[in-house]
This record gives sequence, C-alpha cells and structure tokens, in this order.
Amino acid sequence: MKLLEIKNLTKNFGGLKAVNSMNLSIEKGKILGLIGPNGAGKSTVFNCVAGVYPPSSGQIMFKDENISGQSPWDICKKRIGRTFQLVKPFGQRTVLYNVMVGSFLRTISPSEARDRSIEVLRKLHLYDKKDLLTKNLTIADRKRLELARALATEPELLLLDEVMAGLRPTEVEEMIDIIQEIRAGGVTVFVIEHIIKAVMALSDWIVVINFGEKIAEGTPDEVSRDENVIKAYLGEDYVVT
Amino acid sequence: MDIIFQAIINGVLIGSIYGLTALGLTLIFGVIKVINFAHGSILMVGMYAAYWMVKLTGLNPYLALVVVTPALFFFGYFMQQVVIKPVFKAERDVREPVTVIIVTTGVWYVLDNLSLMMFGAEYRVVKTGITGHTFALGDFIFSTPKVYGFLITIATALALFAFMKYTRMGKAIRAASLDRDAASLMGINQYKIYNIAFGIGTATAGIAGCVLIPFYYVFPTVGVIFDIKAFIIVVLGGLGSINGAVLGGIIVGLIESVFSQFMASTWTEAIIYAVFLLILFFKPSGLFGSKMDW
Amino acid sequence: MKDGLNKEKTNYLMMIVVLVIAFLLPVAVHSPAYLQILILLFFYAYLTTCWNLVGGFAGVLPLGHSAFVGIGAYTSTTLYLHYGLSPWIGMFAGGILAAVVGIIIGKPTLKLRGAYFALATIAFGEGIRVMTENIGNIGPFLINGPRGLLIPLKGNSFSNFQFLSKVPYYYIMLVMLIIVLLITYVFSRRRMGYYLAAGGEEQEAAEALGVNVARYKLIAMALSCFLTALAGTFYAQLMLYFYPKGIMGLDLSFEIAFIALIGGRGTIIGPVLGALLLRPVNEFTRMYLSGLLPGLHLVIFGLILIFVMIYLPRGLQEPLSRLYNWCVDKITGASQAKGAYDV
Repeated sequence: MKLLEIKNLTKNFGGLKAVNSMNLSIEKGKILGLIGPNGAGKSTVFNCVAGVYPPSSGQIMFKDENISGQSPWDICKKRIGRTFQLVKPFGQRTVLYNVMVGSFLRTISPSEARDRSIEVLRKLHLYDKKDLLTKNLTIADRKRLELARALATEPELLLLDEVMAGLRPTEVEEMIDIIQEIRAGGVTVFVIEHIIKAVMALSDWIVVINFGEKIAEGTPDEVSRDENVIKAYLGEDYVVT
Repeated sequence: MDIIFQAIINGVLIGSIYGLTALGLTLIFGVIKVINFAHGSILMVGMYAAYWMVKLTGLNPYLALVVVTPALFFFGYFMQQVVIKPVFKAERDVREPVTVIIVTTGVWYVLDNLSLMMFGAEYRVVKTGITGHTFALGDFIFSTPKVYGFLITIATALALFAFMKYTRMGKAIRAASLDRDAASLMGINQYKIYNIAFGIGTATAGIAGCVLIPFYYVFPTVGVIFDIKAFIIVVLGGLGSINGAVLGGIIVGLIESVFSQFMASTWTEAIIYAVFLLILFFKPSGLFGSKMDW
Repeated sequence: MKDGLNKEKTNYLMMIVVLVIAFLLPVAVHSPAYLQILILLFFYAYLTTCWNLVGGFAGVLPLGHSAFVGIGAYTSTTLYLHYGLSPWIGMFAGGILAAVVGIIIGKPTLKLRGAYFALATIAFGEGIRVMTENIGNIGPFLINGPRGLLIPLKGNSFSNFQFLSKVPYYYIMLVMLIIVLLITYVFSRRRMGYYLAAGGEEQEAAEALGVNVARYKLIAMALSCFLTALAGTFYAQLMLYFYPKGIMGLDLSFEIAFIALIGGRGTIIGPVLGALLLRPVNEFTRMYLSGLLPGLHLVIFGLILIFVMIYLPRGLQEPLSRLYNWCVDKITGASQAKGAYDV
C-alpha cells in the first residue's frame, strides 16, 4: 500500500524553482532514501511534506488523504513525524522532558506520557541519560534524542533529515541499527542522507534528486550504477562508457 | 487651510528633529541588533550636557555640539563595552537577544534616577540667543531653533549616510551587521565595531540634545517620551535605515502637529500608538527596511 | 526510592512551615503600616506569578501587563459605582474582560519576534492608558479620565469588599497568591506547561511534535490576563482610589516584568522570590531615603537588573535553589545524578 504519494510537487521561492514536478511514493513498511548533491531540493521536499510551507503546486497524499498545505502540528497529529537536520532540543530541559513533549500528543495524562517516554528512551538506549539536561549531551545523543522525541508521537511515517550528519562511523552503525529496529516496529521511514554507505545499507528504494528534479530511482544497486547519478555527484569524467 | 499648512510646517520641522533622535537608535538597532531601551535616557544625558555647557560657559548650543558629541560618543562606547558586550557574549546563539532589552532598561532606570538625584526634578530651559526666535515666510511662521534643528538633521543624516557608504569603518560596520561571523573572519574585530557603532549612535543623541535645548525643557524623565517615539520611528522607517528614520520622524511629527488641530494632544498620542501597531502587524520591516532585517 | 522520598518530604515540610508562618504573621504583626507592606508584597508576588504564565512559560516578554490590572480595577469599580454590584462579582467580570482583551491583543502580537512583541505590548499598554485618561464617560459609566476613581467608604462590609482592618486584606491576598502558585504548579506538570515551555524555547521543533504553539500561547495569555485583572479589583478595594498612571502605567508594567526576570522567569518560585527580595528594598529605600535621595530605589533596582542579567540570566532563583538543594542534600544524605544540574 502506498503510504505516501507525492504527485507533481513543485515549490517556488520567489523566482527560484526549488522543486520541479517531483513524483515519489513510499510503500508502507519500507525505507526510502532521498539523496542528491547539496542544494538539490531534498529538504524542500521534506518541508513540504511536513507542512513547514505549502507546495506551489502538486499534491501530497498520505494514506489517500491530501495533506498539502496543512500545518506542521496537524500533520504530526496525522502520524507523520520528523526530525531536523540541525537538531533543536529543548536545551534547558531534561532528556525525559523533551520526549514527554512528544508523548503528550497521544495522551493527556502526565504519568502515562512519562511511562511511554521512558519506553521510547529505553528503545533508543537513552534511558540512563533521561535526567540529564540536553545541552550537556553529545551530538550523537542529541541526534538520538531528536529521534526519540519524534517517535514518542507514535508516527506511521517518520521523516529523518540527515540524522547521521556529524556522527562518527561507529555511531553511524548504531544509528543504522536503530532505524532498522524502528522499521521492524512498523514505522515507514523516509530518509534524507549524505552518508552514502548508510543510505545504501538502509534503503529499500532510493530516489536521486538534482536541481529540484528526480534524475534516477531504483534499488540501491541500480542507482549506484546509474549514469545520471554518477554524473551528478562526481561529474562527467567519472561516467564509464 | 492656512492653519493646516502652518501645522504641516511645524510638523515637518519638529518631526525632522524626532528623526534626528531616532537616527542613533536605528543605527544601533539595525547594525548591532541591540534594542537599546536606554536611548531616551542617553538623549537626556545629551540634553543635560548641552544645558550645563551653555549655562556655565554661555556658549552657543550649536557650538556646544563640538564638545557634547564626542563626549557622548565615548559614553556610548563605554556602555557597549561594559554593559552590553557581556550580555551579548552570553547570548551569542540566541536569535532574539531579549536580555539586552532588560539590561538597557536597567541603564535607563539608573541614568534617569541618577540625574533626578543630582539635578532635581525641576524643568529647566536655557535662554539662548535664538530661543523663541521666529521668522516669517509669506503667511507662515518658522521657529528659528527648529529650522536649525531641521538643517542639522539633514546634515547629520547625510554625513552618516556618506560615512556608512564610503568610509572603511562604515563598510566594516555594515559588513558586521550583515554577518557577524563572516566579518570576523575577514579581520574585523566585531566587538570593536559594535563599540564604535554604538558610540556613533549615542553621539547622534548628543547632537539631538544640543538641538533640542534651545526650545525644549530638560528634566530627568524627558528621555522617556523620546524613547518610545524613537522606537516607533525606527520601526516605521525600517531598522537600520537612515532615510527611514528621518522620514519616520517627519511622519510622526506631522501626525502630532496636524491632528492636534482637531483633537486633544493626548489623543494624538493614541493615534501614534495605533499607527505603530498597524505597521508592526502589516509591514514590520517598515517603510525602508528589508524583509530580511527583521 | 528512599533518597528521593526524603528530598520530596523535606520540600513539603519547608512549604508547610512557610505557609504556617505566613498565616500566623498577622498575629505577631499589628502595625497597619507593616501589614500594608506585606499585603503589597503579596500583591506584587501575585502579579509577577501571573505574568510568569506568559513571560516565563511562554517565553515572550510582555511589557504592558499593567493594562490588565487597570481593566480589572475599572470594571469592578464602575459596575459597583453604577449598579451597586458587589466587587466580588465585578472582579470576575473584570477578569473575563481582561481575558478577552488579552486574546484580541495576543492574536496579532504573539506572532512577532521577541523585541517587536515587547514593543507592541508597550504600545498597547500605553495606548489603553492614554485612552482611559482621555475618557470622561463610557455611556453611563464614569471613568473620570486622569483623575481616576474614588470608592466611597463603607466601613466593614464583606459584600462591598471593604474592611476597616488590614488583616482581612492580608488573608485575601495571601490566599490569592497561593491559588496562582498552585495554578502555576499544576500547569507546569501537565501538558499545557510542557507545550508552552517547548513552544517558547524552540517553536519549530514543538510544532513538529504536534503543538499548535500559537494557540497555547494565546491560552496562557488569556489566563494570565484574567488572573491579573483580579488583582486590579483587589487593589481598588484596598486603596479605595486609583488613577490611570498609577494602576496602568508603564512603571508598574516594567516592575512586574523585571521582578519576575530578576527572580527567574519560567520557574514557579522565581517571581515570588524576586518580589520577596526586591519589594522590601523598594519600600525601605523609599521610606527612609527618598527625602534625601529621590529615585534612589530605582537606581538600585536598575543596578540589580543589570547585574543579574549579565551574571545570572536565569535569575536569582538559580543560585538560591542550588544552595537550598545543597543544604537539603546535606541533611538527607542523598545525592543527585551528575549532569542533572547545570555544569
């Protein structure tokens, strides 16, 4: 079943066409990776889906409902969660507090929210740090906190915006495991990522975007051999003819 | 009809001087992104400085400019260095330096009440050669000190504009305002720049002080009225815009002057607040500010 | 866990001790002048706690809150003077009006960035004050412009909300203060508090977690304005006279905000602490020194403000509560996880 379907999505900023007639869909329970050079328009696609700004034209269908142009909080209520590329923890608060903000979406009871948050923290191996102030966390922990918070809202679709950026190789491995566990738990995942190794390992399907347009899509294997992709990333000279 | 024209003339004249008081603020607000609630109090300091200069030396207030302006420049430099910089450093990553507002309000309280303690609450004014002087052009009367004020405002605005556009320091200040870190990487000492920019801001308050005392009373809380007006003018004209400040001042002056022909002056106060709020809601970047600024 | 229980128990004990002292004070203090000082202390603590709902929890800087004190005072008083309506009822009418005005003001302004929001609240506050000073009557209701309103003396009369002794006023204000502190406490533990704190700190992140930040800020604003107005009625009944510059002036607005900021906004104890520390300074310098050095209390106030904002931006409650916690830990022998406090 197609959980998310993006149809002819176009987004203009003033005179600049950031995304042009993008078509993309994700099957329920799969992991889709969106890759492309810097400035290709990946975050714009994400932000349109997440409701940060409305598309200039096109449709975004989530579970057969058109969600284009809705507000970020309504979209979250409809079970799409997201993380931010530049993490935004509530710095003056504890880890647990941060996650509870997420849990409160699904329950009004503070004790229930607390219990659910602790469960999420355990799953992400952050339980020991639950009482630390977030500004005292390492970057890897902050990324996981960002993930935990979004998970606490019990999404069906999770948008991960460069969640590996800034992590060391061992931390990347851990994150890959965590995301796979999340998928095993029934959440569909849509990732933007630069760390190619991670995207290849994680994704069931990859879409490549450049200058706001899709230039290739397929399995990781197919995409890594696609001419257009190699050209986009490395330039003409690397294409093997 | 004549009354209206006269009111317009008065409005433009006093308005330009309001603009002069706001010039410093728009610079500080626009460049350093500091909301200096003590601006009115600094103007008050400038006024008292001019007052005492004139009273004690009998100097022409416009000549007193030569002393008062640099004095206030150093005052501002000092204030930025000692009071504002530490707050700034603590709030580096915060998008909206709200603490600065609070600190400058503290400075406002201190300055206003120190002068209350030192000079007493009475209203003072200096009799200068031109106080009360007027001249006529056709059917209309022009108040001489206000005309001088108008001219000095234009001159100051032009000088500031030229300074910012053509001198090395001016360009450095503009660079620092656009992107602190980038400017820093290019060898510009940001904090020194801020000190200088702040100093320039307060120096213009000094000029405004000298311009005001030939016809305006000085007393410890005189700054409060000007403070609020200055902020309104800055928002009206656009953050960091020199012509915005002058034009904004003139608009405020006109509203005051023209509307007070038809209603009590306290209602004109309310109108100015209303205009201010409308601008905030519909065009917060002001007449000349850029969308990015705010 | 035994340790945690001991710490909580100690806190409860402290609270009970403080409450008992507060309730028993009038037995020991008889001088009306001192009682008045205490009443005003509670009054300011109340106002700053109400302010804190918006300025602390919602993370914005409202600098025009005295307008709501005024709305409360004017509403209950005009209803009383004109209809003979008991100020107890008028109080709630004033609260509701204030909440409505607060929502009207809040809707467009809460979207503005920090400094602009502050300026807008000043403009609204001063605008309302200026208008009040210009109005003689609203329909049949006497407003009396800058001269303010006088409430005729009725002696001891509960229904007229007037008492000859200061003691009833003391208890009323104390109870009101306790109520708003409880409200703040409950707030902070429930979803509303979490959402406000999150929205105030990182609006985008909160929205991505399902929080309609604008709406919650508005709710906080409405509640804060309602509660603030109640104190306006209290003040009117305490003093039996008020006028626009005094009750809706910029001075009061600023004082409320700054006491909360110095004490520590966003915390429950901060505003009260601020009031406890600053009001006496205010009163005593005014009482003893204003003859010699007028305005000295404001100079001191300003200096404290500067100092605290530079060195203790989260307010005096931070070092003071750390000190308190350290003492409690020493007594109960408990220890906290590293990193749980600021490093």
